[in-house]
Amino acid sequence: MTNTELAGRNPLKIFSTAADGSPVDRRMGLVISRAGLGKTALLVQIALNSIISGKQVVHVSINQNLDKARAWYDDIIRDVAGKDATELIDKVNRNRLIMTFKETGFSRPKLEERLNDLVYQNIIRPAVVVVDGFIFHDACRDILADLRELAAAMDLNLWFSAVSHRDDDRRSAAGVPAPCHEVDDLFDTVILIEPEGDGSKLSLNAVKDETGSVKPGKVLSLDPTTYLVMEG
Amino acid sequence: MNIDLTKVRNIGISAHIDSGKTTLTERILYYTNRIHAIHEVRGKDGVGAKMDSMELEKERGITIASAATYTEWKGHQINIIDTPGHVDFTIEVERALRVLDGAVLILCSVGGVQSQSITVTRQMTRYKVPRIIFINKCDRTGANPARVIEQVREKLNLNAVPMQIPIGLEADLEGVVDLVRMKAIYFDGDNGEKVREEEIPDHLKDEAEAAREELLDAASMYSDELMEAALEGNATPELINEAVRRGTLALELAPVYIGSAYKNKGVQPMLDAVNAFLPSPLDIENIAYDLDNDEAEVRTTSDPDDPLVALAFKLEDGRYGQLTYIRTYQGTIKKGDTIVNSRTGKKVKVGRLVRMHADEMEDIEESHSGDIVALFGVDCASGDTFCSGGLNYSMSSMHVPEPVISLAIKPVDNKAQNNMSKALNRFTKEDPTFRTYVDEETGDTIISGMGELHLDVYIERMKREYNAEVEVGAPQVAYRETITQRAEFDYTHKKQTGGSGQFGRVAGYMEPFEEGEYEFVDQIVGGVIPREFISSCDKGFRKAMEKGSLAEAPITGVRVVINDGSSHSVDSSDVAFQQAAIGAFRQGYAKASPVLMEPIMKVSVEGPSEFQGAIMGSLNQRRGMILGTSEENDYTVVDAEVPLSEMFGYSTDLRSLTQGKAEFTMEFATYRPVPKNVAEEVIKARQKKDK
Repeated sequence: MTNTELAGRNPLKIFSTAADGSPVDRRMGLVISRAGLGKTALLVQIALNSIISGKQVVHVSINQNLDKARAWYDDIIRDVAGKDATELIDKVNRNRLIMTFKETGFSRPKLEERLNDLVYQNIIRPAVVVVDGFIFHDACRDILADLRELAAAMDLNLWFSAVSHRDDDRRSAAGVPAPCHEVDDLFDTVILIEPEGDGSKLSLNAVKDETGSVKPGKVLSLDPTTYLVMEG
Repeated sequence: MNIDLTKVRNIGISAHIDSGKTTLTERILYYTNRIHAIHEVRGKDGVGAKMDSMELEKERGITIASAATYTEWKGHQINIIDTPGHVDFTIEVERALRVLDGAVLILCSVGGVQSQSITVTRQMTRYKVPRIIFINKCDRTGANPARVIEQVREKLNLNAVPMQIPIGLEADLEGVVDLVRMKAIYFDGDNGEKVREEEIPDHLKDEAEAAREELLDAASMYSDELMEAALEGNATPELINEAVRRGTLALELAPVYIGSAYKNKGVQPMLDAVNAFLPSPLDIENIAYDLDNDEAEVRTTSDPDDPLVALAFKLEDGRYGQLTYIRTYQGTIKKGDTIVNSRTGKKVKVGRLVRMHADEMEDIEESHSGDIVALFGVDCASGDTFCSGGLNYSMSSMHVPEPVISLAIKPVDNKAQNNMSKALNRFTKEDPTFRTYVDEETGDTIISGMGELHLDVYIERMKREYNAEVEVGAPQVAYRETITQRAEFDYTHKKQTGGSGQFGRVAGYMEPFEEGEYEFVDQIVGGVIPREFISSCDKGFRKAMEKGSLAEAPITGVRVVINDGSSHSVDSSDVAFQQAAIGAFRQGYAKASPVLMEPIMKVSVEGPSEFQGAIMGSLNQRRGMILGTSEENDYTVVDAEVPLSEMFGYSTDLRSLTQGKAEFTMEFATYRPVPKNVAEEVIKARQKKDK
């Protein structure tokens, strides 16, 4: 499978351009689902999609180790790229940098310092930063607002993942579930992953999208193993 | 002999280079009557400190190999391991920590917490070693123990609790105030051997009271009884000591002592603290693995009547043969016993058993669990476990870092050759981080170790102890060549030089082969190449792959398919087809876009987060590909893939870049094509060498 084919089947391609084909001006996006439905896989897909389209990515993993984060990429690439995996893994390695932090060590100043280091040392110039494992709690609004500001200042696209809970039915007016229901205004796009029917498919629902790239509601059905758009 | 294990202490003394470990050990031995005169590390008397037994150590003023020594203090038996302070010798520190129950961390009152202290602290934490801290050199200009205590809390994240305050500092250092007994302590006599107790000087009373309050607050966390007594104002020294001991053993508290070993001040109270707060072998849980039971974890008992379990943690080549330092975890070892090395299964007879005192020794009849002694003439490697009574245990394997630097060495003559082999054999047995092998491609003997100084010391030792003079080459990188595309070949080897000629024609193609180094596929039909010459073709291709045309590096990753050819009934032979295959390979190789490949190392650099940018920059400059960073508690690990050829000299650069606060490890990851500009240089250098 070539990079172009891969990009074509990548679920997040539809979010990277607006309906009229122009680039989307998005600062912060959020992927939310119950545990185990594949938030990390989706973030990795967003990162891969960006790399294939020529951008560089920083993957921030909170409370996880580096090898585990790397394994996500390698596994997904092997699943989808088959024989060409080695070449693609190499390309991804060159255009992606993984940073792991402990929960308490992650903040805007820290991220900003690290990103500036990367740019200054000419190591990588990220256009997209995916943040996996950020803990959404009552007091996280300020941190997120700070990060949104950082995204604007550094011209970045920031994507987060969040875990929702079956027994917590709080939702924002826009329909964003807890624990992100009180901070949904800080995100331009919110995607909810839900099992579809008997669980043989996953559906991506755009709960909110202010970029105009996609209409709210169910966007796609995905293969739960590869996270590629289901064919047929 | 019945020994009271609660009165045994196995302690290490470790710290940053130049913080005075050897001097302190020397004083301990003096005050405990093991030696009768004091010599300085770089002494003018030409004798040198007792613990620096190697000539080289005396010369350089650094401690290289840890010497074990035994002493007694106020009814307690103390085994001391003096450990080296340089980062290149950390295996010595690690090995010492593995067998010790407690440690004294020495810090310099001027230099404070330096990188090696951070490394040592991490090592101690890894091995769960309770520690007390001795802030040395309080007589020096700029001495500031209070600042060092702050640094211990901030940088080492230890709950440092001062047990004393100084009476005077720098040149005015007179003694210390003991905050437990609230007494002033002075050290009289020529060598500070007379300890004199007085009332606390008036001008220090308030400061001492405040410091004692702080001590009581910290210690009360570990004893309700002390807390109550403190509230009522009658905290006794016994209650305080018991609470501090509990906190220390739980690794939650680090009692701090101060003094100046050089000026003979503060050493005896520190020794009292070793007895009072550091664990006995009974306080420590040691785990062995039962090799007969799927390596199930077993707790060693410390019971001298149980079967023996002992770990050989250090080897030395002494005047009388190999000296093996062992730590006994349970059972008793006696002269004349037969014990089994659980790694090799070999039975070993205990000939001579000795207690070590630096480079002197005392013969003993037996040694009990918890003790550290040495065996004579026992053949084993460092890290082996000895058992008896049918046990087959292995003590948990020691953390051995991978070597990071290699050098080629060449003996200057035949005599040196023999001596060098002897020396290398010895060093590799003594030190698991020192490795050696013969490079098949270059024929050089390669030595590898933990840093340039590490290898330098071994080269020096070869010269001094084994009389093996060697030439040291520049570090070598093993390049490879491979092809990147399919190419056809059709080659005829024809030679007519009178008599029977040579004839063979080989045709087919070659293509990149990722799964292995080489594959030969025979697709000949109709016997155009006779069966008996097919293997000749294979042999010829293999020969051709030994040296590529780019940099004479071995060629790997090629599949060769032969599908056509021709032969001559008289002139074809094994040699003719080998030559034809060599020619065919070279023809195809030139068209298959060959590239030069270099070894890529997975490099992991660990250091304070403030240096993260500098570390990443240094790796980037060395053509490194940064894979990621992991940040935790102001410490960052940067993972990258870097060509080996760019890593030489990195330890030195990294040290200067990060004030010695970062460490790195590397291991082989893969081979990758060398970038064009670099490849051109390598090829040019090779061509120049050939001329």
